[in-house]
Amino acid sequence: MALPEWLALAPTIVLGAAAFALFAIDAADPRAENGALLAGTATLGALAALAFAGWALIAGTGTEEPITLFAGQLVVDGLSSFFTVIVASVAALVTVSSYDYLRGRGDQAEFYSLVMLATIGMSLMAAANSLVTVFLALELSSLPSYALVASLKRNRGSVEAGLKYFLIGALSSAILVYGISLVYGVAGGLRLDAVAEGVATTDLTGVLGVGVLMVLGGFAFKTASVPFHFWAPEAYEGAPAPISALLSSASKAAGFVVTFRVFTTAFGLDLAGVDWVLAFQILAVATMTLGNLAAATQETVKRMLAYSSVGQAGYVLIGLAALGGGQNAGVLGASMLHLLVYGFMNTGAFLFVALAEHWEVGRTFEDYNGLGTRAPVACVAMTVFMFSLAGIPLGGGFFSKLFLFAEAVGAGFWWLAAVGVLNSVISVYFYLRVVRAMWIEEPGENLGRIGEYPVGIYTAVIAAAVVTVALLPGMFLVDGVASDAAAHLF
Amino acid sequence: MVPIQYYLLLSASVFCIGLFGVLTRNNALLFLMSVELMLTGANINLVAFSAQTGTLTGQVFSLFVIALAAAEVAIGVGIVLALVRNFEGVDVTRATTMRW
Repeated sequence: MALPEWLALAPTIVLGAAAFALFAIDAADPRAENGALLAGTATLGALAALAFAGWALIAGTGTEEPITLFAGQLVVDGLSSFFTVIVASVAALVTVSSYDYLRGRGDQAEFYSLVMLATIGMSLMAAANSLVTVFLALELSSLPSYALVASLKRNRGSVEAGLKYFLIGALSSAILVYGISLVYGVAGGLRLDAVAEGVATTDLTGVLGVGVLMVLGGFAFKTASVPFHFWAPEAYEGAPAPISALLSSASKAAGFVVTFRVFTTAFGLDLAGVDWVLAFQILAVATMTLGNLAAATQETVKRMLAYSSVGQAGYVLIGLAALGGGQNAGVLGASMLHLLVYGFMNTGAFLFVALAEHWEVGRTFEDYNGLGTRAPVACVAMTVFMFSLAGIPLGGGFFSKLFLFAEAVGAGFWWLAAVGVLNSVISVYFYLRVVRAMWIEEPGENLGRIGEYPVGIYTAVIAAAVVTVALLPGMFLVDGVASDAAAHLF
Repeated sequence: MVPIQYYLLLSASVFCIGLFGVLTRNNALLFLMSVELMLTGANINLVAFSAQTGTLTGQVFSLFVIALAAAEVAIGVGIVLALVRNFEGVDVTRATTMRW
């Protein structure tokens, strides 16, 4: 029995259905404070999307022969399913934990539906096969995110974060669309295969080079890489913590998948006029170094995590910076694996911060002193996240980083791997600072308020920790899936 | 027919005027207008290249860009309202509770 082709988009469709169901619930009962129903609907949608995307990967939907839809505007292949799995998992963790975070607020339905809409945008980014759909999907994930970051309307930090995120986002989307217009002028088409055909024969290399660099700038915003990273610490610090988790994990992964697809299929490795691999090498080194050095100087945990997420983006950029060394599928696959593990460990870390905000223990490292004595289970989970982010073999982050550096060395870019290892050493300092505060320091006065244990945030944090640990042996299962998906790009 | 270079020049100047506004203005609403100018520059390019290559792709895309610009302003004005309520004004440099 042959299923209709559009069913390949099932993950995106169920996310859309969840968003509309949330709108319907909100329309029926606008002042609804029934958090369980709303959070449940959103989580169910995200889990269904996760199940469909995971099934597509296991059943091989599009992994051998990509399924193109809507006259080639969208494509479903291993890469898109892989990244839909990441964004749907992060969305599920975020909606589960928001159940406690939003308790008592009157705008919960809007919050969850915006989360769902942003997630649709991210899953479409994974499937976008034309510069039009790339731009539209990117905006569909950005616009709800601006509103979500500023959703604590009476909190000055949240509004400031939303404003800065919006201003830089609007600027970089204008730069992206101008870059796309220049590429269109040179290539004469907007579908990625048409662009690839057009740029192969052109002699307008100057205009093309400017266009490609502007497109790169637009994507750097979405992935929070240097030089468009400076919104990230502000937005992640000011936003509600579950939204920081969504932005720093899912949105970043989605930004990387469009970067992978556009640069490998449309622009190609032998693009005349601009050496974009060199540009990514510079960006990777700058992003890693800046993110980790800045994270080491922070006093608040959330802001440290924000800068660490910039640094982690730098590691992922190695996947693009080490292309052309004969190991293309390997390095790109390792980047994808790192984004998969990162999706769980970083989301978990931000959700732990959400837990700390829920208990009002404070924001600095010192405020976390002795937390391990009062909430040992959550602190064990946080310890797993910190070790995994640092690359210590207690979570999947160890193998994904190892693969990434090993593939980079194999491709002949030993200096990229060396910079990565140096940065990892720096990062051990600030990740372990959290661990030390939780387990070794004496508890302070501020922990007296820890009375109740919010079930939603706990579930999400523990689920994220379990997956992070499970990915340590599981890495060898998903390794093949990732490198197969990456191999189809070349 | 007007040569394509003139269109490119026009669009680049509109884009740069917008960029100049973004970089020099502190008023959030002027910032929004400047971003609109930058998007308009891109639209001029899209339509001009579309006419030159004889395909409609670029023109259709420019319609999408216009619609998205409107959606972006809707979100932007909402955030500016929240800014006015919390920071007493539309000056974007006043919102500095977090250190840089």
